[in-house]
Amino acid sequence: MRSLAYFFKQSLQGFARNPSTTLGSIITIFLSLFIIGVFLVGALVVDNIVKSVESEVSITAYVKDDATDAQIKEAQAYISGLDGVSQVTFTTKEQALENFRNMSSNAAIVDELGGNPLPASINVELSDPQQVQTVATQIEQSDSFAQIADEANPADSLKYGQRTVEKLFSVTNYLRYIGIALIVLLVFIALVFINNTIRLAIMARRKEIAIMRLVGASNGFIRGPFLMEGALHAIIGAILAIGCIELLRNLVLPRLQTSLTFLPIELGVNTFLYIYLVLLLAGLVIGLLGSAFAMRRYLKV
Amino acid sequence: MTEATNRGAHSTRYGVDSSQAARATASLSAALPSLEVDDIPQQGNPVISFDRVSKVYPAQPNRPALDNVSLQIYPGEFVFLVGHSGSGKSTLVRLIIRELKPSSGTITIANEDLGSMRNWRVPYLRRNIGCVFQDFKLLPNKTVFENVSFALEVIGKNRNVIRTQVPEVLRLVGLQDKLDKLPDQLSGGEAQRVSIARAIVNRPPLLVCDEPTGNLDPQTSRGIMDLLERINRTGTTVLVATHDREMVDNMRRRVIALDRGHLTRDQQRGVYGFDA
Repeated sequence: MRSLAYFFKQSLQGFARNPSTTLGSIITIFLSLFIIGVFLVGALVVDNIVKSVESEVSITAYVKDDATDAQIKEAQAYISGLDGVSQVTFTTKEQALENFRNMSSNAAIVDELGGNPLPASINVELSDPQQVQTVATQIEQSDSFAQIADEANPADSLKYGQRTVEKLFSVTNYLRYIGIALIVLLVFIALVFINNTIRLAIMARRKEIAIMRLVGASNGFIRGPFLMEGALHAIIGAILAIGCIELLRNLVLPRLQTSLTFLPIELGVNTFLYIYLVLLLAGLVIGLLGSAFAMRRYLKV
Repeated sequence: MTEATNRGAHSTRYGVDSSQAARATASLSAALPSLEVDDIPQQGNPVISFDRVSKVYPAQPNRPALDNVSLQIYPGEFVFLVGHSGSGKSTLVRLIIRELKPSSGTITIANEDLGSMRNWRVPYLRRNIGCVFQDFKLLPNKTVFENVSFALEVIGKNRNVIRTQVPEVLRLVGLQDKLDKLPDQLSGGEAQRVSIARAIVNRPPLLVCDEPTGNLDPQTSRGIMDLLERINRTGTTVLVATHDREMVDNMRRRVIALDRGHLTRDQQRGVYGFDA
């Protein structure tokens, strides 16, 4: 316990000795943790959106233009009979065009189209969201729907949450790779910075270390202050990053929520606490690892 | 007579015949008046034991720094290690504190084989060996008191031990009035006393000095040697590597002579025996 206090005192002296490099390593840790944090928040938001899309339980089955009323009625009847289906409605081509006109901000564009390119569709509401995949495959494989499916492959004529989710994933995957590359780069830079800062601290205390070895200070005692210094840089960096993310949470997130009301982007306080814990631990690992590298290279004991 | 034997020693210095040198120096020590020195009985287990130890530095593979050296030093002895620059004195000292490992042979310190010692045990070995060097190795930004207490602090001694032991050891070396001085406010002799105080503050059974009077004037050196002798009288084994002829000849203690890595002489109440 006493030696912990000693390590702490020594590492503070290290701060005073090399303020510029110390600042450099704190800032790089801060930046890398900040970006890790932002990406974590982003990933969780995307996860939320994905979940809400998945829970949208309706299936839209597009019907080709030359399907007869009898065929449509037959398919509707078949679908109504499936487990987990609560309601089946039919949208005609004209209704689809009308819906599109209402949704689109530029209604005139619809008139420019000339004909009506939109297909009619059967809308299936589900009572149990878990069933969406099974119901979709059943519709896909049924003969009655195959006859009237808009596309040659019945699967392509079905639209439900899963599809949107997959599209979302392909976009977020790219973002994720970019994020991981950025984080790896920043962590690497942070390690190099800490390595350098600790190396300078070791150089500055060369004489002291030589004497400590001479009088028989244990290896742990010699290393302690430097590990402590690395850990302190990391903790300060992590606290800065946490502060910034907390600031963003309080200032930017509410605005995003008001302007993007249709996206469920609110995250619980617990989620943020969890993220902060992860950042702190990640910072500690970076700090300790960085100083451990430096000691291996410059502090043979 | 003295001059003639000295010249004889000189002529063999570059030869391999060490027995001739031994004979020459034996007759020289017979010619000098013998002083009253209590004989330390060589008994018990040796504190330091070298068994056919050689050390070859990679930079000079054909010229071993130590070549097949065997010696025993027993508890309570006061031993001079003499030889010219480059004869292997410092190498021998650094082997004892395991700053170096021998190329071959075994070194045993207090019944512990340094060859098989794990690295993490080395600090505990060094806590039992006090070390004094020619260049004092004091920390310039610490006071006399802090320099000595630092040695206790870093081996985890508590504050009470430090508060009682440090002033006591500084009184022993005669620096009780200079506790708050910085090293650059001290004379060379005083600085060396501080470094001796630091070496013995933990009461090690063995004190190893590498050229402790190397850059001190003769009178100051005499004072340092008196101090080492007093420390020796408390039961501490003392090994002093030196090329201070006057000192060795005056004190008439056991002398181990090294010449270019070879142990050429090991004699009770010996003299320096080389030409200056």
